[in-house]
Amino acid sequence: MPRDSERPRHTGRLLRLGALLAGIAVALSFPSMAPSPYELTVGIAILNFAVLSTSWNFVGGFTGYISLGHGAFAGLGAYATGLLVTKGELPSFVALFVSAALVAVLAIPVGYAALRVRGASFVIVSIALVLIMLLVFQSWASFTGGSRGLVVPRPFPGKLRSEHHEIFYFLFLGLLALALLAWWIIDRSRFGMGLKAIREDEDKAQSLGTPTYTYKLVVFVVSAAFTALAGGLYGLWFGDLDPVFQFSILSGAYMVLMALLGGVRHLYGPLLGAVVVGYGLEYSKLEYGDTPLHLVFAGLLLGVVVMFMPDGVIPAVTGLVARVLGTGETSIREVTAAELRDERDEREADVRPDHRPDGKRPDGKREVRQ
Amino acid sequence: MSADEGEQSLATVGLTKTFGGVAALDGATVSFRHGRVNALIGPNGSGKTTFFNCVTGMIRPDAGRTTYRGRDITARPPHRIARAGIGRSFQLCRVFPRMTVLDNLLVAVRPPNLLAQLAGARKREETERARYWLTRMGIDHLERAEARNLSWGQQKLLELAGVLMSEPELILLDEPAGGVNPALIDRICDLVRELNAEGRTFLIVEHNMDLVMSLSDHVVVFDRGRPIAEGPPSVIQSDERVLEAYLGV
Repeated sequence: MPRDSERPRHTGRLLRLGALLAGIAVALSFPSMAPSPYELTVGIAILNFAVLSTSWNFVGGFTGYISLGHGAFAGLGAYATGLLVTKGELPSFVALFVSAALVAVLAIPVGYAALRVRGASFVIVSIALVLIMLLVFQSWASFTGGSRGLVVPRPFPGKLRSEHHEIFYFLFLGLLALALLAWWIIDRSRFGMGLKAIREDEDKAQSLGTPTYTYKLVVFVVSAAFTALAGGLYGLWFGDLDPVFQFSILSGAYMVLMALLGGVRHLYGPLLGAVVVGYGLEYSKLEYGDTPLHLVFAGLLLGVVVMFMPDGVIPAVTGLVARVLGTGETSIREVTAAELRDERDEREADVRPDHRPDGKRPDGKREVRQ
Repeated sequence: MSADEGEQSLATVGLTKTFGGVAALDGATVSFRHGRVNALIGPNGSGKTTFFNCVTGMIRPDAGRTTYRGRDITARPPHRIARAGIGRSFQLCRVFPRMTVLDNLLVAVRPPNLLAQLAGARKREETERARYWLTRMGIDHLERAEARNLSWGQQKLLELAGVLMSEPELILLDEPAGGVNPALIDRICDLVRELNAEGRTFLIVEHNMDLVMSLSDHVVVFDRGRPIAEGPPSVIQSDERVLEAYLGV
């Protein structure tokens, strides 16, 4: 039985587990509940957004480095997969993993250069990456197909369209689970702690012995590899690649928006953001066609998030719940001179320092009194 | 501590750093001995914090050399200098605001190699060691609080605990008493004395002269980016150059 002081945490853990199991059940049963293949494609698009945004969050969430150029890694993953299948004649899913490995290798020199700068400079360098890739893939038409695009053969040619969608739905779901698992493992590791320290105060982290540059580079490469996997899987699913869409700053901006909306510090933040933004984009396109109205909605949403929920929806909601249940932090009171004297006496009397002579523990929930 | 008392700890030769033509450090040559509580004093703008930043690798000096226990550390990055055994606090107290008090200390754990850092899991003994330092600072009851919610004084103690968690032999404290209430100043002084008695060397930048004179064994006075006097507190207090530079008399 949990002790009284641990009961709220125990309840919270059970609630989280329940929500996770419910989420998994909904996700697994969605293809059988979807009324038509169109809804299934919406589900796939949302899952693709979720993987991309979670992949972005390896860098953005852990280190606080905002990359607007992650679309380049998705595009490279898609094109590398497509080219390895069409020109290298590799099996589709071998090509997918080889392309992710190639993008990871390419991310090393990119990260080596880009991660030397911080803040706005890093954002600009990341934008430059996606623009360079756009120019290269548009101009090198003999190899990439240029503006004519690149047709990627379907990996399951004998399947019906709806079956094809269903298989890819589960593939994207599996990739999302893998990305979330990797994020969760890093979050709980010593490496993750170092990354979060970089986000909080990079100079301070260095002064405590964290090799910040190496940490950033490693997580940048991990992030690029997952982004490339998402891009490659999209390429195999969609089957038609165009540089304008694959190397778009907008795709990187959506990754940032989704992660910010849900909460970059939270495992499920980008996933929640992807559900909201992905559904919103599909709805907007369905209702208003090819007008740029969906961009207006996305911009408004970003403004609302930054102004009213800078930490995202999940932290805002959990903070509200903690306030309502009264489980938030209350204890920051400093000790008084008298208590200091007591503590000194205790130490001299070789008594454990966290116990006062009167037998009471220093109470952490007292008012500020200096 | 492995170094012998009296052995040279930190030393600089001709350390120079200019910012837009202004020499913050102007060929500073100075050395500090192991096992002492050293103090670095001087008027505002005399180069004390720049000195800290240069010797800890935060700023690359334009010229000069820094050695720690005989090894050249001039061009090393900050994390390698920290791992060589030099810990530091900052003038404006810096903690990881959105991390818990306990995690603020666990960041400073030093695994044996990069692989252990990247792939190693947190260990129970590391947490126990972090709790030991929190208890010693008197902030163990706050271990689950986010550091940003702590008062200024508590953040000062947390910062010091984080530095100690990285197991430094030499600790550089930049204005440890700045903005802290008198009771906490006493506690910080006690801690410095205790830690010094356990073998740690201190180099303290501080404007609180009562603290400096009562706590330190050796005082170096900076003016215009270079040392102008050094010696025991009793000598420094009556040095005319110091009185002129620091007190304007």
